[in-house]
Amino acid sequence: MLFSPGWRAPVRQSQVLAVFSLGLLLGGTLSATVLWLLSGLAAPVPGPVRTGAILTVGVLGVAREAGWVRIPMPQNARQIPQEVLRYRVRRGALQFGFELGTGVRTFVSASAPYVVALGLLLAHQGPVTTILTGTGFGVGRAVTATVRYASRHDEWDDRRVTRMPLVANGIGVTVLAALALLLLR
Amino acid sequence: MLAAEARPAGRLRRGLTEPLLPFAALALLAVAAAAADQVVMCWASVGALAGYSLSGSV
Repeated sequence: MLFSPGWRAPVRQSQVLAVFSLGLLLGGTLSATVLWLLSGLAAPVPGPVRTGAILTVGVLGVAREAGWVRIPMPQNARQIPQEVLRYRVRRGALQFGFELGTGVRTFVSASAPYVVALGLLLAHQGPVTTILTGTGFGVGRAVTATVRYASRHDEWDDRRVTRMPLVANGIGVTVLAALALLLLR
Repeated sequence: MLAAEARPAGRLRRGLTEPLLPFAALALLAVAAAAADQVVMCWASVGALAGYSLSGSV
């Protein structure tokens, strides 16, 4: 919608993409800041126990994504109302991006965000690492919008839908592998 | 003449905007950062992967 080739609003689409992406980064950063504050609660738990718990969560994330186990996870099961974009396109795109970037205002359709959020809570990394992970989350979401915009073709959505099962499962395995490699060294 | 959105995307543009490419790049970055013990980069790229896993989800 925001980045489809059929854009007709009087504001340049690239500006909307920039503002939307900024909102995503800010939203991810805010959520990660909250996670960093909460992660202090895990600090008294011994390191090996936390590592084991993070990797267990990672394995469960892979299994859940593959459909081998059903683990209901909390999510805000609703879409952000379209009205935020109706009157002020730039401000609406910023708000829309911010709300999406927080990861708590709408659907969470994959397991990896839960694994990373729980991983951050349990790992109790420093503020820079935790907050930049949240910013990275916003970047990851912004990549979709940027690539969609760069494709300049609605057919991209069909390709995305076709690739999503592979992408979501691949991301689950990669997150587990990267965290195992990092934490078990 | 066809409208822009009705024309097939060029082969180069189509290749560069392949939805698997960001996943491959971020996955490589995350694993390489973990192997090099680059903690911040590893976590940040894992965060980016988590964000990308929500592609198309609004």
